[in-house]
Amino acid sequence: MSSSAILIMMFAGLTLFMLSGLPIAFVLGGLSLLFTVTLWNPDAVVVLVLQIFDTMKSEALLAIPLFILMACILQRSGVIEQLYNAMALWFGRMRGGLAIGTVIICVVMAAMTGVVGAAVTAMGILALPEMLKRGYRPEIALGTICASGTLGILIPPSVLTIVYAVTAQISIGQMLIAGIVPGLLLAGLYVGYLLVVGWLKPDWLPVDEHAVRPSMAERLRSLKALIFPSLLILLILGSIFFGVATPTESAAVGVAGALVPAVLSRRVSFGMLREAGIDALKATSMILWITIGAKAYVAIFTGLGGADALLDFIRGLAVNRWLILAAMMLLLIFLGTVLDEIGIILLTVPVFIPIVRALGFDELWFGVLYAITIQTGYISPPFGYTLFYIKGTLPPNIGMDRVYRGVLPFFALQIVGLLICMAWPDLVTSLPRAMSAR
Amino acid sequence: MSAEREGARTRLPGWLAGPCQAVTTINRWVFMATATLMAIVVPVMLYEVIARYGFNAPTTWAMELAVLLFGPYFLLGGPWLLHLQGHVGLDLVRQRASPAWQRRMDLVNYPVIIIFCLILLWYSVPAAWSAWSYRETSFSAWNPPIWPAKAAVPVALVLMALQAVVEWLGVIFRVGGADRHDDSGAVDGAGGSADAMVGEVRA
Repeated sequence: MSSSAILIMMFAGLTLFMLSGLPIAFVLGGLSLLFTVTLWNPDAVVVLVLQIFDTMKSEALLAIPLFILMACILQRSGVIEQLYNAMALWFGRMRGGLAIGTVIICVVMAAMTGVVGAAVTAMGILALPEMLKRGYRPEIALGTICASGTLGILIPPSVLTIVYAVTAQISIGQMLIAGIVPGLLLAGLYVGYLLVVGWLKPDWLPVDEHAVRPSMAERLRSLKALIFPSLLILLILGSIFFGVATPTESAAVGVAGALVPAVLSRRVSFGMLREAGIDALKATSMILWITIGAKAYVAIFTGLGGADALLDFIRGLAVNRWLILAAMMLLLIFLGTVLDEIGIILLTVPVFIPIVRALGFDELWFGVLYAITIQTGYISPPFGYTLFYIKGTLPPNIGMDRVYRGVLPFFALQIVGLLICMAWPDLVTSLPRAMSAR
Repeated sequence: MSAEREGARTRLPGWLAGPCQAVTTINRWVFMATATLMAIVVPVMLYEVIARYGFNAPTTWAMELAVLLFGPYFLLGGPWLLHLQGHVGLDLVRQRASPAWQRRMDLVNYPVIIIFCLILLWYSVPAAWSAWSYRETSFSAWNPPIWPAKAAVPVALVLMALQAVVEWLGVIFRVGGADRHDDSGAVDGAGGSADAMVGEVRA
């Protein structure tokens, strides 16, 4: 049987089993191995086993469980509630202040953890009821939470970024740092949008005229909540940026750091640590079993010449390289609406990176565009992940249709951010290039 | 968690119920034991960071030990996660399918997992076995034996295959509709572990 016939059969099988709800790890791994041993070259499985051994001793990937564990501990430490209270005291009286404050908290949380669900659900529980009580238009409130809750994908430490960097075989530290400016840029776009809305449609973001002005002393006291997150962020990002420690080492320090507020607020207990540990293993195991399945898939896909054929096809197109880039971005946004993000990275990066190199684009820069599109996929209706995180926190009188309508302007802002990063690559690359070499 | 619900809806014959329960229980223990590995990894890495950056006295063993534990950590967590339906999949179609069709999908899906494990097992056992028979070490400065880490691959695959068989039998003997995700609230890809991760905040 010809290579292309096997590839076509395999894609048909992948689609079919994907739709039947078989976990992605086993769709990829199971079908690829089946086709490899029956129709292709059984010896390739030996190579796959060696690749699994390699994955198992990857110091870089070890950062994933550590960052996840850190997030799981922070979630239970009370830091988020304290941050929210401080935000409400400082921004509460401003027009749109609760929404703008939500964006800011999400940025801080994104810089502390690399997990998306945490920020979205936390803000859905803390900020959403307050904003609705204040009379904010629900669409705006929901869109703000969904969009800014996903900034964790861009702002380091980000688990998805680590997976990308490992798969693309580029520097994890540089890739992490590269997400800072674009992440802040997007946050700035959100805030700008909220300010414009507040100016054009004041009744969408009403101000509470009768609110008691909190005293300065009270406000200053609330800033205590910022001390710990700032220290943790400085510690992690600083050590990566200055090359003091590897991302993995700083992740381990981050786990210890996350325990500090939990201890201070007396929330640390055996049960709490046990729960955090269980959740961390669940997430890690899921991600890395997908990694194994994806490696099997990539082995047969490249082995049968699929990757080369695609590369030749694109070279033969002889169209503008920006057009190809745009096509890749569109494909990623589409995949982001239907497929798990880790799966997307592991499936497309091995195929896309050679194309990106052949076209003469910067891999670091492409990585950030990748992260922005994936983030866009996270909030795009109807199947973005974030929408399902927020679903659990919605009050009964608000339906998912309002969430869908709410994220649309932010979807547009994502595209604006993506275009800005495309047009000015220096925004993305200058910070990581300035890093101490490591 | 679907464990109890599944038990309630599945009528396994008596001679099968015991072994199936045993597999799930063992995998749960393995998962819990594996989760505690982080209680070793984190302190060991902290020790290394402090020794290296604080006292300029890096160890030869700490980082290597942490990385050595990483493989068994994520591999052995997998089987019980299968029982929890924690491996993400695409749910848009299956969620709209009737219970009868969901059952048919599961009847085909679990064998794919079993096949995946068996094929990989066939090729990983020799690799792990040769590591054991040569008492393979890492040839680093610390030079620890690495066969235990390699042995984690076939062990995890056996446990995963057994769990897949158990889940498959659960589907075969399922009375009534499918149970997967129909009770979780957050669905369409975002089920399972990701959902569990945010469960705490939500509560």
